[in-house]
Order: sequence, then structure tokens, then C-alpha cells
Amino acid sequence: MSMLALGLLFGGVTLVVMFSGMSIAFSLGAVAVAFMYFFMPSASLDTVTQNVYEEMASITLLSIPLFILKGAAIGKSPAGRDLYLALHVWMSKVPGGLGIANVFACALFAAMAGSSPATCSAIGSAGIPEMRRRGYSGGFAAGIIAAGGTLGILLPPSITMILYAVAAEQSLGRLFLAGIGPGVLLVVLFAAYAIFRYRKEHRAALAAYTAHGTASAYLDDTRFTLQERFEMLPRVVPFVVLLTGVMVALYGGFATPTETAGLGAVLALVLIAVVYGIWRPRDLSPILASALKESTMLMFIIGMSLLYSYVMSYLHISQSAAAWIVSLQLTKWLLLATILLLVVVLGFFLPPVSIILMTVPILLPPIKAAGFDLVWFGVLMTIVMEMGLIHPPVGLNIFVIRNVAPDIPLRDVIFGVLPFVALMALAIVLICLVPGIATWFPNALMGAPVR
Amino acid sequence: MSNTVEAPGEPPGVEPPIPPILAPLDFALRFVNRAALTVGMIALLAAAFVLTYSVFSRYWFKAATDWQDEAAVFLLVGAVFLCGAYVQSFRGHVGIEAVASILPPAINRARMIFVDVLTLLFCTFFAWKSWTLFHEAWVDKQTTSSSWAPPLSIPYGLMAAGFTLLALQVLLQTLAHLSKPGDRA
Repeated sequence: MSMLALGLLFGGVTLVVMFSGMSIAFSLGAVAVAFMYFFMPSASLDTVTQNVYEEMASITLLSIPLFILKGAAIGKSPAGRDLYLALHVWMSKVPGGLGIANVFACALFAAMAGSSPATCSAIGSAGIPEMRRRGYSGGFAAGIIAAGGTLGILLPPSITMILYAVAAEQSLGRLFLAGIGPGVLLVVLFAAYAIFRYRKEHRAALAAYTAHGTASAYLDDTRFTLQERFEMLPRVVPFVVLLTGVMVALYGGFATPTETAGLGAVLALVLIAVVYGIWRPRDLSPILASALKESTMLMFIIGMSLLYSYVMSYLHISQSAAAWIVSLQLTKWLLLATILLLVVVLGFFLPPVSIILMTVPILLPPIKAAGFDLVWFGVLMTIVMEMGLIHPPVGLNIFVIRNVAPDIPLRDVIFGVLPFVALMALAIVLICLVPGIATWFPNALMGAPVR
Repeated sequence: MSNTVEAPGEPPGVEPPIPPILAPLDFALRFVNRAALTVGMIALLAAAFVLTYSVFSRYWFKAATDWQDEAAVFLLVGAVFLCGAYVQSFRGHVGIEAVASILPPAINRARMIFVDVLTLLFCTFFAWKSWTLFHEAWVDKQTTSSSWAPPLSIPYGLMAAGFTLLALQVLLQTLAHLSKPGDRA
């Protein structure tokens, strides 16, 4: 069988099995095993489980359940609400400050919890009702939270980045740092849009009031006293302690990324025990169970994706596909645009973990050949996958928002998130024009990369 | 981090009722899955503490950290494999369900049977190969290549036990499904 036919058969069978509704992990594993049976030496089937175990028993990959535990501890405590309230009080004087407070709270919470859906859920459940009470339209409020939540896979500790680091054999510490600049850029863009949109909706409310006397919550002015502001400050202390503790441990050279994950999880559990009194087994049990459920589901996908990639590589499908892309001799930027577009399309159907593990073996050789920095590309790929979290048809965060605020029509949510998708596309263009947005911070802190 | 495809608060998958003849298997699996979840939770917590201890013992006591990473790997891999069946019990291993909503009921039923049977075959094959791997590691007294050198039969055994539970869970779901084919449409 020719390589083209084999590649097409492999891709075709994968699509059919996945779209049959079989779970992603088992689809990938079943396709890999079937191709091993038909196209690889029979001995390979005898070592299939050893293969999966050896791929999964990576200490870097196994930091994922611990980061999830840290996220679950923070996400299931009232910490998200407290963080949001404190930021809201401090931002109240800024026009559109409520929207900005939501963006900031999402970013900080995402850096702490590291999960997009958890961020949307925790900040959204406090932020969306408050924004709507203050007159913000449902779509606008939903858009801010859905987009803010996506920062969870860009800001450290990002599971997506951990997988990219493993698949692309890049430094995890460097990748984590490379996500910070683009994360800040997105926060600034989202906050700027929040101000712009606030002013627009505020003007419309004012015009309606002037013309017909229609009252709007937008026109109510809420002020907080200095005392009220300072009373809120202790609420953000746990976040600052956790964020600083983890960063110092990792970049101060005290701990490896995996040890940082363990330390972060323990620190988060200690904080919620001290601050919120969540320490009894019956309080901790839902946190541990939820972290374990999510970790199991993810680690099964990761293990089977790695087996799938191994088969793809053994049969020379990934190498041939990569060579074919290189042979197209696309210009550097057209190549990048095509690859990112492919990731967008895959993002319609697949979670980022599968996209990375299935495509990186194919996409990295051409990206490397074109002279792109692989850490920088990892950041771009992550932002593109963030877009997949909020754009239709799947857009996981859209559905989380529907859970948090079921009364906002789906149409409004979708139109509310679209401007943020455009802002992410703008961020991608800016990071292409100024790669330093991603690479400056890691280079400054860790030195130039060794090539 | 994460972005996973599991939405918080997502309801578990709708399952057909278990026929009376399968009730003992269902009861046993529920019990074992619950126990596996509890063991997994303890292992997850233990892994976090082992790695934290590793940081402090290295910094304060200048102690060598030769066993902590491997212990954490064993704990976490074990927890993940053991809980695979529990996650499957509420169909928590996510898939692409986009096609289900547009298919006529009869074809959709055939699709679901195809999915269940294929999953069962895969999990059974994996359980079988895991047991042979465990057996080899046990007989040959295989260990990891580190200086601590713990036996590899521990994680292999946990993998074999996890996939066996998973295969039984899928078998139960497939049989329940075949006995009431219209319920999940």
C-alpha cells in the first residue's frame, strides 16, 4: 500500500470511529491497535500496554493531575467570588470598571486554578449576575467571562503547555513564561474592549433615558468608601500567596515543574483549610473526586493519543505528512497561517490535549524548517486553541456560560463572544509581528535558548 | 491549564435501566468503583505530599530525592487506571456526539451498539495484554532502572486491574443496552 493510501486510510478510519461517538481516548487506542494488527509486526501488539505505560509514566505529564487538584481546591472554594468582589470594589471608579474587574478576576483565577471551564464557572457565577444587575447586556457579560476563562490554558500553569512541552521536547519553564506576555496582551485587549463596549451601551442607555425617560441600571452610580475598599483587600491575599509561592518555587530553582504542581496543590489545600475552613474529609472529598475524574478522563486521552502518535510515526505517516507539507514550499507565513487554520478547524471537534499530541509530530518539522521558534509557536497554537474554546459550533466555554446563566439566549452568548474571537486573532497577528511579546520574558529570565 | 471537555455540573450520561439478571454485577461494580475512587483520592493526595516533601527535604536537609518522583508516578498512574471504570460508569470519557442528534433512531441504535462493542473489544484486549505484562514483570522480578528500583509489577498490576474493571463496566453497559435497545435513542 502506498504511503498516501495508508495515510488517508489512517485519517479516514480515525474520523469515522471518532464521529461514531466512541470516546476520544478509546477511539484513538482502538484505531492504533487495529493498525498495529494489520500493518505492524505482530510482536508490537504484545508490547502495546507497556508502550502506553511508559508514555504515561512521565513525571512531567503526571504533574497534570496535581495541577488539576490545585485548580479544583481553588475552584470549589469561595475564593473565586472573593477575588471578583475585591477587584470589583477597587475598579468601581473606572468607566467600565466592572467589566475590567471581571477580566482581571478571570486572568488571576485562571493562573491560580489553571482551568478554562472552572474559571468561567467560578467568576461567571458571581460576575455575570452582577454585570447584568448593573445594566450590562447578557451577551456582553457572557462574552467577557467566556473569553476571560480561556486565559486558563495560556497563563501558567497550563496543561496545554505541559503537553506541548512533552510533545515538542521544549523547556516547560520557558513555555510557562512565554505564555505570560501574550496573556497580559489578551487581558489588555479584553479590558480595552470592555471599556469601549461599556461606553457604547452607556451612551445608548443615556439616549433612551433622555428621549423616553427609560430608566437603566447603567445610569446608577455606585461608589465604595475607602474603608470598604481596604476591607476587601485580605480576600485577595490567599491568591497572592499561592501565585507567589508557586512561582518562587519554580523559577527560584527550588522545585521541578512536577514538584511545583505537588507543592501548589498542597498550598491550595492548606489555604482553603485556613481561610475557608475547608479541611474535613467530607469537604475535601468532592474536591479530590472532581480532580480525579477530570484527571482520569484527560490522562486516558493523553495515553491513547501518545499510542496513536507512536503508530503514526512507526508507519511513517507523520514523517510523510510533514515532508509533504515542506514540499509544498509555501512561504513562511502562508505555512504558519495554513497550520493555524488547521488547528482552528480541529478545535471545532477535539479538545486541545488531543490536538497537540496528534498534530505536533506532523506540524513541528515544517515549522522548524521554516525557522520559527518552537516556544513561540507553542504560544500561538495555544491561543488558537483558546479560540476553539469560545467559537461555535462546540466552544466549551459557551456551554459553561449556559450552565451559569441559563436565561441568556444562546444567540446572545455567541454574538457576545465573537468580538473576543476577533481580539484573539488580533493578538495572534501582533505576536507574529512582535515575537518578543512571547519570547522576551523567558529569554530575559532564563537566557537565550540553546539551539 | 486545563481545558478539558468536561463542563462543570455536566449531568452524567443517560443509561438504560439495568436488567434484574445483571443487578449483582452492577452492585459489585458500584461497590468496587467507589472503593477505587477512595483509593485514588488518597493516592492523589499522597502524591502531592510526597512531591512537597521532596522540595523541603532537598532544601532543608540536603537529602537526595531519589524515590519521590517514582513513588508519585506509581501513585498517580495507579489512581488514574483504577478510576477509569468509575469514569466510564457515568460515560465520563468524552466523545464527539455531534452525529447522534442528526441520525434516524434505528441507525442511531446501530451506531450505539457499534460504539459499545468496539469499546468492549478494545478494553478487553488491553486488559488481557496488561495481565500478560504484569505476569512477565512478576515472574522476571522486573524493576525500574532507578537506584530505588521498585518492582514494575506494581504499576502493571494496577493497570491490569483498572482495564479489567473498565472492560467489566463496558460489558455491563453493553448488555444493559442490548436488552433495552430503544432507551438510549
